[in-house]
Amino acid sequence: MISKNLTAASTKPIILGVLKQGSSYGYLIIKKIKEMSQGRMQWSDGMLYPVLHRLEKEELIRSEWIMADNARPRKYYHITEKGKQALLAERDQWLQVNSVLNAIWDIEPAN
Amino acid sequence: MFRKHRGFDHGTIREMELHLRDHIDDLISEGKTEEEAFQLAVREFGEIKPMAQEVYWSQRPISNNTIINTAMLKNYIKITVRNFMKYKFYTFVNVFGLTVGLSIVFLIGLFVNDELNFDKFHDKADDLYRVVENQYYEGQPVFPVAVTPIALGPSLLQEYPEVLAFTRVSNEDYLFESGERKILERDGIMVDEHFFDMFSFKILKGSVVGFKDKLNALILTEQLALKYFPDEGPVGKGIKLGGEEFVVSAVIQDVPKNSHLEFNFILNYENFLAENPETANNWASNRLYTYVQLSDQADLTGFNEKIKGHIKKNMENSVTDIYLQPLTDIYLGEVDFVVEVQRKGRMMYVQIFSIVAFFILLISCINFMNLSTARSAKRAKEVGLRKTIGAHRRQLIFQFLSESVILTLIAVVLSAGLVALLIPSFNQLTNKAFDLSTLFNAQSGVILVVGVLLMALITGVLAGSYPALFLSSIKPVLTLNSQVINIRQGAMLRKVLVVFQFIISVVLIIGTIAVYKQLRYIQNADLGYNKENIVYTSVGASQSKLFANKLRAQPGVVNVGLSNRHPAYVLSSSSGFEWPGQNPDENILFHFMGVDEHYMSTMQMSVIEGREFLEADTAVVMINQKAKEMMGLEDPVGKTMGSFYGEMRIVGVVSDFNFKSIHSEIEPIVIFKRSRLNRVYVKYADTHQGAIANTMKTVWDEVFPDKEFHFDFLQQDFDDLYNAEERTSQLSTYFAILAVMISCLGLFGLVSYATEQRTREIGIRKALGASVKTLFLLLTRDFTRLVLISLLVSVPLGWYAMNSWLDNFAYHTNLGVGIYILSAVAALAITFVTVSYQSIKASTSSPVKALRNQ
Repeated sequence: MISKNLTAASTKPIILGVLKQGSSYGYLIIKKIKEMSQGRMQWSDGMLYPVLHRLEKEELIRSEWIMADNARPRKYYHITEKGKQALLAERDQWLQVNSVLNAIWDIEPAN
Repeated sequence: MFRKHRGFDHGTIREMELHLRDHIDDLISEGKTEEEAFQLAVREFGEIKPMAQEVYWSQRPISNNTIINTAMLKNYIKITVRNFMKYKFYTFVNVFGLTVGLSIVFLIGLFVNDELNFDKFHDKADDLYRVVENQYYEGQPVFPVAVTPIALGPSLLQEYPEVLAFTRVSNEDYLFESGERKILERDGIMVDEHFFDMFSFKILKGSVVGFKDKLNALILTEQLALKYFPDEGPVGKGIKLGGEEFVVSAVIQDVPKNSHLEFNFILNYENFLAENPETANNWASNRLYTYVQLSDQADLTGFNEKIKGHIKKNMENSVTDIYLQPLTDIYLGEVDFVVEVQRKGRMMYVQIFSIVAFFILLISCINFMNLSTARSAKRAKEVGLRKTIGAHRRQLIFQFLSESVILTLIAVVLSAGLVALLIPSFNQLTNKAFDLSTLFNAQSGVILVVGVLLMALITGVLAGSYPALFLSSIKPVLTLNSQVINIRQGAMLRKVLVVFQFIISVVLIIGTIAVYKQLRYIQNADLGYNKENIVYTSVGASQSKLFANKLRAQPGVVNVGLSNRHPAYVLSSSSGFEWPGQNPDENILFHFMGVDEHYMSTMQMSVIEGREFLEADTAVVMINQKAKEMMGLEDPVGKTMGSFYGEMRIVGVVSDFNFKSIHSEIEPIVIFKRSRLNRVYVKYADTHQGAIANTMKTVWDEVFPDKEFHFDFLQQDFDDLYNAEERTSQLSTYFAILAVMISCLGLFGLVSYATEQRTREIGIRKALGASVKTLFLLLTRDFTRLVLISLLVSVPLGWYAMNSWLDNFAYHTNLGVGIYILSAVAALAITFVTVSYQSIKASTSSPVKALRNQ
């Protein structure tokens, strides 16, 4: 199980990453994340929405209501150009963290 | 379940509801029951409250760079109010000082604004000019004259395409006859038809169409219309003026107080020309004001160059150049014209008052800065604590500045109220007509509000800047690790500011005394004649002798003299005199007047050579000392002088007397003995002050049964003449008193603070046996020293300033040392009284109490 803090820290790149693959709405985003993490990330569904709103405010994503004739209305989120840039930056950072960690795991215990 | 949380807006609620429905549907399709699916979906959705908060905060405007947010602002105000309550005395001193200071600035602002905007209410003000003259006489300074010949206006219009219109304006007095009443109305003018297009005096009733041809047209101001036609429409009605029938053709608004032209009724100049057709081409005598409207493309400098010699072109031997004076420059113009209009301001006063306003505001600001920095020791702890828990310096600066701005705003509101209360007295003092409704009308209301807020902001920031910068720079560690902090840094600056304040105050005291002294000097100046106990009137020249003779027989009448001029306004002048030994290249301008054989003794003028006129004298003149000097005559008595009245024998030399404003130097004058004179001057006994008017009226009614009696006191004319100075004197007295008061208030605050700080020291000294006297001296010494230092600067400064001012007067008082000693003593005494209260209080209080306090 991944800790709460780490989950929270990774929310932004994960959401941006999901949206990069294609526009989506809240419930579907959560579903995708759960599938990909195979239940190892603990999310309360509701916490997604404040994050989405914040990202929208930061202009990393934008939203629109889509009304289909025979389905429920959905609020779709799309990633913006700025969002894509942010995602790249996040990716870089996570890779760096990852490489640092990798280097650390490789160190032989000294004695 | 979402709706009770205010963080969610409608869209978010809908979005989350749909999420739950999707989830529940999915779970049901996986085989869960509806009930189970609902429970599970809600559980997985998580707690709503933190979500709502998260949404709420994320939706608020985020501005990382502003330090002003609502929460902090509330906090600032709270702390500000708390500080005000905690230090009631200092808050009072600050607010009171600022209120008084701002009120003065308000009032002076109104005054200055009004003075600067004289005559600007005319729509065409920028294109209107008055034609004025410079006359040049040998060996004399330029002689500026505001009146011009009758022929000038029409000729300018004819010859110069730049001139679009002209009007002549000549002052007239007329006897109005309405039924039984016969009243001499002054302040009438005769004008040309374009007067009404050029100037924007509003016509309320009737019309001025075809004015040029209506020779007997009369236009009344509202006030005069009401006086003569109280219950009916005056337009079309007839009224007798000077025995001639006139018809009211229009009623015009009362002349605004900020117009240099003042009048009550208007007549047609064509009427005068019709009766005196020969005067239409007169270039020789200057008798009226000429105004022109210039095309807005005209270049004033170039045009002035063109018309400069216009009078010379039309009249041989003329010594007169003309030029245009902008309408809006007339009121505050620097040139002292001869025959200037009555309503004339002085730029100097506008400047003086502006400077005074600035300094008074400065004094108030200094008080504020001094008190705030002085108190900084007390607040240093607050600053230290705030800094320790993470306040930024700029937040602290903002805190202190907002305190001072709030304080200033309070003062602004209070001073607005004070100004509203003071406006009636201020109007009386300045002879203006400010009123609240004009102050708060739409246009100027907005300007006023914006201006006031701007002023509050500037004053607040100015006054709060030093304390703000100073307090915010305090190192937290210094304030928190010691019990008593003594901040010495501010002390020097405070002293400098106090000295500065007192310099301003003392200069104002000196100024006030000087203005007062000069005014008394003018009022008591030796004019060369005695203006006291003289009452005068004017009558038909043919009956003046009879009237005078009958008056002489009355009790209380000391003497009666006749003349054709007012003794303080001898304005007729001529250079057409000849005398033996005259330098043919010299062109001397002599003033002249006519008197009878009683005039000199009535006015108590002193004859220094020869003799006064005798009843039997014919073809004789007297000259004044100045004339004797300029003519270069050793022994003028008995010599003959050629004049426009023919050959005249000089019988005497009269001691110099002032026949114009005391602002100007005495000029040469020739006094003729004439027989047909219209002005009657009556010298009465002191004891008859109250009765003289009645005595005269009795005789008047006997001699002129069908004429209205009117009279004036000569003394009153002088009071009017020096009204401007009188007003300045009064205003500057008030300002000086207030400035000194504000300074003292600040000093009082500072002394209170200093003694408060030294309570423990005083207690110990007392416990060790110091006497009250020693302690008193200890406490007063510091401040007395500051005032002494300020005297070193202010006395020379005041001396210089007031002597420059006095140079404006041809005759002025000698200030002497007394005034400086008096000012210095006054400043010291006031300081002493201010300081003593606190010092005595501190030095007589029980030492036990003093020590326990800390």
